[in-house]
Amino acid sequence: MLSPVHLKLELAVRGIRVDPALAAQGVLARAPNARDPHSREVEIVLPDNVVAACAMQPEVAAVTSPFALEVKNDQFWLTGAGEEAIKVSILPQPRYYGRETSLGTPMWQVGAVTGNYISIDPAATCGFAIQGVTCAFCTLKPQPAGAAQTLRPVQEVVETVRAAFDEGVAEFVYFNTGYFDAEDGGFSALRPYIEAVKNKFDTLVAVQAHPPADNQWIDRTYAAGVDALCYNVEVYDADLLAHYCKGRTDLVGRNRYFEALAYAAKIFPSGTVWSDLIVGLEPPASTTEGIDALTAAGVLPVLSLFRPLQESALGDYPALKPDEVAPIYAHLYRAVRDAKINVQWMRDLGYAVTPIEARYFAGEDAKFDVAVSSFYKSKIGSRAVRGLSKLRRRLRVKEVRESFDSSKL
Amino acid sequence: MDVIIDTRPLWMVLLSHTGRPIRFAVGILAFYLVATMETPEGLTLEGQRALAVFVLCISYWMLNVLPLMITSLMAIALIPLTGVLTSAETYALFGNSAVFFILGAFILAACLMKSGLSTRLSLVILRRFGDTPRRLLLGTFLLNASMAFFMSEHAVAAMNFPIIAEIVAVLGLRPHRSNFGKALFLAMAWGSTIGGVATLLGGGRAPLALAILEQATGDQPYTFLSWSLYTLPVVAVMLGAGYLVILRWFPIDIESVREAETVLAEKVDALGRLRGDEKGIAIVMISTVTTWVFFGHSLGLANVAIGAIVVLFAVRLVEWRDVEEYVNWGIILMYGGAICLGAALDKSGAALWVAESSLGPWADSPRLIIAAMSGVAWLLTEAMSNSAVVALMMPVGLGIGQDVGFPVAIIAPVVAIPAGLAFAFPIGTPSNAIAYSSGYLRLRDLFVPGMLLGLIAWIVFNLTVNFYWPLLGFSPV
Ligand code: SF4
Repeated sequence: MLSPVHLKLELAVRGIRVDPALAAQGVLARAPNARDPHSREVEIVLPDNVVAACAMQPEVAAVTSPFALEVKNDQFWLTGAGEEAIKVSILPQPRYYGRETSLGTPMWQVGAVTGNYISIDPAATCGFAIQGVTCAFCTLKPQPAGAAQTLRPVQEVVETVRAAFDEGVAEFVYFNTGYFDAEDGGFSALRPYIEAVKNKFDTLVAVQAHPPADNQWIDRTYAAGVDALCYNVEVYDADLLAHYCKGRTDLVGRNRYFEALAYAAKIFPSGTVWSDLIVGLEPPASTTEGIDALTAAGVLPVLSLFRPLQESALGDYPALKPDEVAPIYAHLYRAVRDAKINVQWMRDLGYAVTPIEARYFAGEDAKFDVAVSSFYKSKIGSRAVRGLSKLRRRLRVKEVRESFDSSKL
Repeated sequence: MDVIIDTRPLWMVLLSHTGRPIRFAVGILAFYLVATMETPEGLTLEGQRALAVFVLCISYWMLNVLPLMITSLMAIALIPLTGVLTSAETYALFGNSAVFFILGAFILAACLMKSGLSTRLSLVILRRFGDTPRRLLLGTFLLNASMAFFMSEHAVAAMNFPIIAEIVAVLGLRPHRSNFGKALFLAMAWGSTIGGVATLLGGGRAPLALAILEQATGDQPYTFLSWSLYTLPVVAVMLGAGYLVILRWFPIDIESVREAETVLAEKVDALGRLRGDEKGIAIVMISTVTTWVFFGHSLGLANVAIGAIVVLFAVRLVEWRDVEEYVNWGIILMYGGAICLGAALDKSGAALWVAESSLGPWADSPRLIIAAMSGVAWLLTEAMSNSAVVALMMPVGLGIGQDVGFPVAIIAPVVAIPAGLAFAFPIGTPSNAIAYSSGYLRLRDLFVPGMLLGLIAWIVFNLTVNFYWPLLGFSPV
């Protein structure tokens, strides 16, 4: 039988067929979010608590998938992965998706839960869309020139995070912003949200953004309370990156991603600075080179799997072949281990195989990492991590004023 | 206020944090030991207690246990509490004219900044100079130096920092990598540091040294102009040396600064024509400096400063809330406390006692003593606040002067000038800290050339004392 992570990979690539009657049931109803803008994805929890995000029909891959999701005796079963059906569970849609903020916005529009975090994009659109250079795999439509990058009220974000935390469906907050045409990479726009969340909740905050022009903004991002940071390179090969992500190459510059990531890796704790590489958009050798370049800079590569979304410019792109992908994950595991990057921060991702999950492809059991990971997931472990993260920030962040106070007069 | 992330290994960071209670206790222990030891021969009981307060303050200033101004306030309270001077005497010392001169200089600098006149000056000058990389670098260096003749050096660096930061950004200079980026920030920091020693306006060190001198001797032999005459060779040579060291260490690695030229031109255009308030402030500023130069001695530097401020407010060129945020009130407290402490050491005889008991075999070699004092002042200022260096070295220096018998007035520049020449560490002076906070410089970029520059400054200073000052009728022997 396939290991849960091999299965996750297969499911990610091939999708899953769902009985239309079942799809109509409330438990499979999905609200759109940044990763799943058309609500055609279901998150399944496989054995060993491995979370897999699987495309459902009408996504092309799912229509012909060998895998199917069935219900028998009020229990979900995955068939098509061998002789026997595998017992799985579905991450239910949070109840708060049905609620509205005090300003009347449906909460699912403000923040959607993925894994153990609530993902929030405070900006209505991405700056690349405004400048007409959206990434080819993105479903965002170009905006009219000069369109404003309006921001959601902070209050709505706080209310939604509170609702998700109260319901117990999320532990961390993940701000996922598009490109901002600003020297600070959008930090100033994001800052009020980060501060509000940090003030009101004892949680960890991750930010996905695009690199600022100057590294000082990275210092400020850490000082403001961000615990993990991501600048997605997406494609390592320079020509292919320019082909797929014109915005990244033309408005930010490929080198700037690597520079900023390397700098951030020196500022943030090990394993909290990461970058997505999309597996399947470039030759495997190029992705492996990308893994090496990132790990050499102390950055954790997260390998998301390319899935052609119908509404994107790459809707007809050929789907991945799991056999080609598995060696890349094995390489990922070894590269991260050799670079001694902490793998504990990156977990419960449905859309990607995390470095610790990649151990299955490398044929290793990584007992120590797995044990530590279980500790991190426990209540006490998660509290310890939050405490340590705060302490580290208190120790490391110094206001320039402190330096002045000791130097001037 | 901006942030710096301490990226040293965590154990080192932890150690430096846990060190604080230890440093706190070290000061108290030193105070206790000095206050309770058997009173040495030649030292009065008041002198011994003054010495104990002095030791406590030095340790807190050097070890950064408390903010500098809080340590100063603590000194003011401890002097009467330990019976060295009465409360009335101690607090009266705070009302020293130097404190008000510094306050006046701050308010005038605040007006320059608030009106935008100083920024206009920077932009216009940089635009004039900025057509080639070399001229832009020289322009930055000289601009900062010359502005620090009239404003405190760290205000100059803080004001010009955003301009330089924008220039390096439009030129696409890469942090840590670009030589030219490093050179520009160093030109800003070192230019203002060197310029800051040229006049009494470049920082609080010189007025503080003069105030401690005046408290001790009842005499004030320096005028605004004469001070600058004494510092002239050091400033002139260091301007040359500083520029050459920057060029030698960070050879220019770009061909053109056209993008910077464009940005500067846009900024100058955006400023529009010189406004009425800017013209008014310029007139008051020029008149004030002229009065300081020609009538400072007879009218009193502080009185002239306050007069200028009254004029600025009377003709409504500025409002109180405009200047409030620019004035560093902490420095005023720091200086007031340091002056009280210096006077307490002097009046109680502690300063003289320290000098007598520490000088020993050097007593008949004034040149050596001056070389040693200026060397210690330079080295200390690399690691701690330059005013704290003045506060701790002036009283002892005056004691040494009295003991050895050379003109004690010489101690003020011997301490205050080298104490202003910190080039090697971010902690040495705010200008260095500001340059370092740009993210372009590594510590070693400051350290190696900075130490060399400091050494050159020390040598030039001693040559000046021995060969130039006698020409002005001021000799250590
Ligand atoms: S960065 Fe690219 S993928 Fe992300 S939102 Fe913008 S256009 Fe879409």
